[in-house]
Amino acid sequence: MSNKVAIIASNGGLFDAYKVFNIATAAAATEKEVAIFFTFEGLNLIHKQGMHALPMPAGAEHFAEGFAKANVPAIPQLVEMAQELGVKLIACQMTMDVMGLTTDDFIEGIEVGGAVTFLEFAKDAAPSLTF
Amino acid sequence: MSIKADFQLDAKELSCPMPIVKTKKAMADLVDGQILEVSATDKGSKADIAAWAESVGHQYIGTVEEESVLKHYIRKCSDDTIDEQTFEYTIELKEAMAREGLILDVREEAEFAFGHIEGAKSIPMGELEGRLSELDKEQEIYVVCRTGKRSDLAAKKMAAHGFTKVFNVLPGMTSWMGHLTKHI
Repeated sequence: MSNKVAIIASNGGLFDAYKVFNIATAAAATEKEVAIFFTFEGLNLIHKQGMHALPMPAGAEHFAEGFAKANVPAIPQLVEMAQELGVKLIACQMTMDVMGLTTDDFIEGIEVGGAVTFLEFAKDAAPSLTF
Repeated sequence: MSIKADFQLDAKELSCPMPIVKTKKAMADLVDGQILEVSATDKGSKADIAAWAESVGHQYIGTVEEESVLKHYIRKCSDDTIDEQTFEYTIELKEAMAREGLILDVREEAEFAFGHIEGAKSIPMGELEGRLSELDKEQEIYVVCRTGKRSDLAAKKMAAHGFTKVFNVLPGMTSWMGHLTKHI
């Protein structure tokens, strides 16, 4: 049985962030080795400023109340927990170049890599998930 | 009745995946065989805690609900398989049931509470040495636990204290298909 979970985060909204980081922290807490590859809008989720103001999908703004009521942890808190549990965060070099971003734009402790970096990790991972 | 646990974790008002993350962290402070009680209000935690324990190799004992708080009980295990059986006299559970003696259940109180054989006496392994006087040396005693590992240690301990009619029940409660009496 594979002990790895590979995740691609390619969207930059608040809902996307919860899908990615909930699965990632749950998997890490279950003693899986987890890596997330952030590409295109997904880079938003680990962007120093961006991660604090992730947009709700249009028309779903009323869910903000539900998030507060369900006592769902804030995204920066979930990211910190994921890192603490050893989740590897990989930012896509090519997308960073396209968007003119450097490692200084992102939170501490991330890695930068290309598609092959992720593929190498994911080759024996089960499941591999895309959000 | 209240269920005995070695550690308590308050994960109330927290949503997924926090109860799991906190449980994982709390489990690090337990030694093998100890029991953690996790209080949570997340309804999904019941299925999640059971799946988590199964996945990482701990024993999920059960859940009770008290005034919309779910209390989960997990026993820490490293490798709870039967690797060596050294006590000479063993008996199958079915055969033990057909005989006259006493079934002695040496699992933890919480495990006993979530399901045991009617009429069995509960003395957790850790308390056995101090409570041997409650047992009759003239009576046949069939020692049972979950898999046969703790009961093996218990049977050896009893033999060392002069009990001659002791049998280790193999494989243990995991193979018991009959009725379970609960105290929850």
